[in-house]
Amino acid sequence: MTLAALQDNEIPDGALLVAYANGDQDAARILAARLAPRSLSQAYRMLGDQAEAEDVTQEALIRLWRIAPEWRQDEAQVSTWLYRVTSNLCTDRLRKRKRNVGIDTIAEPESGAPSVAEQMQERTRIQALQDALAQLPERQAQAVSLRHLDGLNNPEIAEIMEISVEAVESLTARGKRALAAILAGRKAELGYENDQ
Amino acid sequence: MKMTNDKHDMNDFDLDEVFAAARRAEPVLSDDFMARILADAAMVHEERSAPTVPTSVETGGFLTMLWSMLGGWAGTGGLAAAAVAGLWIGIAPPDALSVIDEAIWGTSVDLSVFTSGDILGVEG
Repeated sequence: MTLAALQDNEIPDGALLVAYANGDQDAARILAARLAPRSLSQAYRMLGDQAEAEDVTQEALIRLWRIAPEWRQDEAQVSTWLYRVTSNLCTDRLRKRKRNVGIDTIAEPESGAPSVAEQMQERTRIQALQDALAQLPERQAQAVSLRHLDGLNNPEIAEIMEISVEAVESLTARGKRALAAILAGRKAELGYENDQ
Repeated sequence: MKMTNDKHDMNDFDLDEVFAAARRAEPVLSDDFMARILADAAMVHEERSAPTVPTSVETGGFLTMLWSMLGGWAGTGGLAAAAVAGLWIGIAPPDALSVIDEAIWGTSVDLSVFTSGDILGVEG
């Protein structure tokens, strides 16, 4: 019986990866269908750019295909590994952006109908967040994005980042404070001037 | 000082709204992108399956290693030609070579300390 004949959800990711390493391309197809959308969403939330997010996911999965022969099913979860690699690749790109793009180069929202203005404001907020993440220390940016953009809980983040839960709490708290401080300078632009 | 902070700082609610905006943004998952992912998987598998030169050397043992050290067909062919040429020169040296030989080593001369017929040297 081939893997394609089985229900996708019955097979753990690790077993599929081992099957791929043994030459089963159906296993790669099932794994890609499971993992690529998740990695792409993670990268897109951090980078806000479709092409860059696709590049990151493609690179992360190439790394996965390459390590498949050495994969030990009992030692790690494929999804955890992929979160880690995607996160690292994204923070690398954010740091390059930090060097290449100044925060003042972001386009101002244009005036228009209320619905268009709201859309522009949403885009401005997302871009401002990504620029602010680029200014954080790498580990803080990773912890904050995994917690607040990907919605993972602290034990999951601890496993992905290979640190303690307490360290995750500390990183996310410091990261949020730093983000708030960075974004405070753009409060009016982000539509929060009249709050409080 | 506190008034300034209250006025300009982002509070948790503001920050959560910014996070929520980022979470609402979803990428497009295209068929073309998925095809690229699967093409990568096939390529990596093929790379791993293809035989490599170092593997054949390792499995060939000492003779294969020696063959490789001597330079394969090109190196060993040159070595064989030099050996044959050396053997031929030893058996039938050309005339030009004997001139050089004399120039270097000189001409050989036979000397005898005995007169002819006195092979025992009794005549003093």
